Amino acid sequence: MRPSLRLLNLEVPSLQGPRALYVCSGCRQEARPRPIVARQFLRHASNADSLSERVRRKIWGTDNPPGVEDPYGGQGALERKFKNQQAQKQEQAPEPAPVEDLPLVDDSYEPATTWKGLERIGHLDRWNDAPRTEVDTYESFSLKKKIYKKGPLNLAAHQTAVEICMMHALDKPLLSICSVAEHEKPVFKMIWKCKIQPNGTWDKALEYPNQEAEKSLVYIFEQIGGQPAAPVAEEAAAEQTEEDTEALELVDFNEPVSQTPIAPFFGYQDARDPGCLTLPLTDADTKFAFLKRFSQLTGHYFPDPVIHQISTVQQAVAYVQGELKPKPKKLAEHLAENEGLQGMPNVKIFGKRRTTLHKDDEMGRKKIIEAELRARGLL
Amino acid sequence: MPIQGVRTVTTARNGVGAFILQCKQLDFHYCDWAGSSRGMVSYLKHQLPAFAKANPQIEIRVSPRPNKHPVIRGLFINGREKVICVRNLEPGAIIKKVNLLKEASGEKLKRTTKPVTSINESVRGIWSPYHGGIKSV
Repeated sequence: MRPSLRLLNLEVPSLQGPRALYVCSGCRQEARPRPIVARQFLRHASNADSLSERVRRKIWGTDNPPGVEDPYGGQGALERKFKNQQAQKQEQAPEPAPVEDLPLVDDSYEPATTWKGLERIGHLDRWNDAPRTEVDTYESFSLKKKIYKKGPLNLAAHQTAVEICMMHALDKPLLSICSVAEHEKPVFKMIWKCKIQPNGTWDKALEYPNQEAEKSLVYIFEQIGGQPAAPVAEEAAAEQTEEDTEALELVDFNEPVSQTPIAPFFGYQDARDPGCLTLPLTDADTKFAFLKRFSQLTGHYFPDPVIHQISTVQQAVAYVQGELKPKPKKLAEHLAENEGLQGMPNVKIFGKRRTTLHKDDEMGRKKIIEAELRARGLL
Repeated sequence: MPIQGVRTVTTARNGVGAFILQCKQLDFHYCDWAGSSRGMVSYLKHQLPAFAKANPQIEIRVSPRPNKHPVIRGLFINGREKVICVRNLEPGAIIKKVNLLKEASGEKLKRTTKPVTSINESVRGIWSPYHGGIKSV
C-alpha cells in the first residue's frame, strides 16, 4: 500500500469526529492490529513455508518455482559461522577422528614426485585443521648454524672425503651417505684416524689406521643405502665385528638422528690428515655427492656457477672459507689504500655516513648543545 | 736614432688582479650497494685523485650514503650550496657536473638582460664614442 493512500484512509474519519478525540496518523498506525502476514514474515526463506517462498510459488504457479530460493542471500555470515562451529564441535565430540583413517596413511598411497597429471597441488582437505603428523615435522637438511672456522671445515671435508671413498670402494650409491645425519663418536673417531693419499683416486685413496677399523667401517658402510649384496658375507662380517660393535653401540642408520650434539664433530678441532684436499672433483657424480654431503655437514650451500668452477676438494673448502669469492671491498677501504689520495691535504675520506651530529662536532656546536641538554636534564 | 718601445712593467689583466675560486668544498656521496652509484664509484676510484691534485683549494669529502642515489654537493664561499644528483651517470658525465660546480659562483641562476652587472649601477650608463654631445663636426 502506498503511504499517501494509507494516511488518507486513516485521517478522513478523524476529521468527522470531535476534535479532542483526534489521534495522529502515526499513532493510529501503531495502534492498529498488525496483520498476520507481517508476523509470519521472515527475512530469509530457510523454511519452505516462508512468505517469500509462498509468494514465489504463487507467482510461478508451481510448487517448484525456478530461480534462487532465497532472494536475500540466505543467512548472515556470523550466523553461518556459528552454525558451522557448532556442527564441527558436534562432529568432533563423539569421535576424535583418528589419524590412521586418513588416506595419507593408506598403504596404496604413493606420494607424487612430480606434479604431472595431478589435478591439484597440495593437501586435498583443510590442512590447517588436521592434527600434526610425522610428515608435517620439518627437519633441515643441513646444519642450522653454519661452520666458518678452518679446523671444523677441514674436519667436515675429511669426513666427507672418507665417506665418499668408502662408498666408492664398496660400490654403493654415493648420495645415500646423506641419509646418515651424524655418526656415533667411535665411528667418527675411526673416520678421523683414516688417512687419504694425496693425488689418489677416490676408490683407492683411503688408508685405514688398522685392520679392525677397516672391518668395522666396511661393515658400517655396508648398512648404508640398502641391504648388502650377500647375506652370508654380512653374517660373517657381523661375527667378525661383534666385539667391535658391542663397544661401539652402532646406531640404526636408516633413521636420521634428530638430536645434534652440543659440540660439532665431538669436540675435535682439526683434521688429522690434510690429504683429502688434493682429491679431484672432476667426475660429476662424485663432485655432486661430495658437495651435497659437505654442505650437509657445514651448512653452506653451493650455487651452480661455483659448483661449475670447483675442481678439487681444496677449492670447495676455500669457497666456504670465503677465499674463492671474497666479499666486495668497500669503496672507502679502496680509497683509503690509494696512495695518490693519501698524501693530499684537501681530501677527506669517511667510511660511514656523515650526519648533522658530525657537522655540529666540526663546527664546535656539539659541546654547547650537550651542555644545554645537560642543564635541562635531557642528557 | 732608432725608436725604442717602452717596456711593459706589469702584465695587463683586464682589471683583475687576483682570482678566488668561489667553490670551497665538494662533498661526494655514494652507495656501495646500489647500481645507480656505479659510475660515481668508478669516478671516485679513477678520476678523483687527478681532480683533487689539480684543485688544491677545494676541500673534497667522500662519504657513503647507503641506499640513496649518488650526490655531489658543492659549498660556496657566499654560504650557499648546490647539490647535483648523478644517479646512473657515467664517469665522463660526472666530470662535467663536477666542473660545473667548481666553476659556479654559488649564486642563484638568473637571466642577464643588461651588458653590465654591478651592485653599484651607474646612472649614466656605458660611455660610447658615438653618442653624447658633439660640439663641432
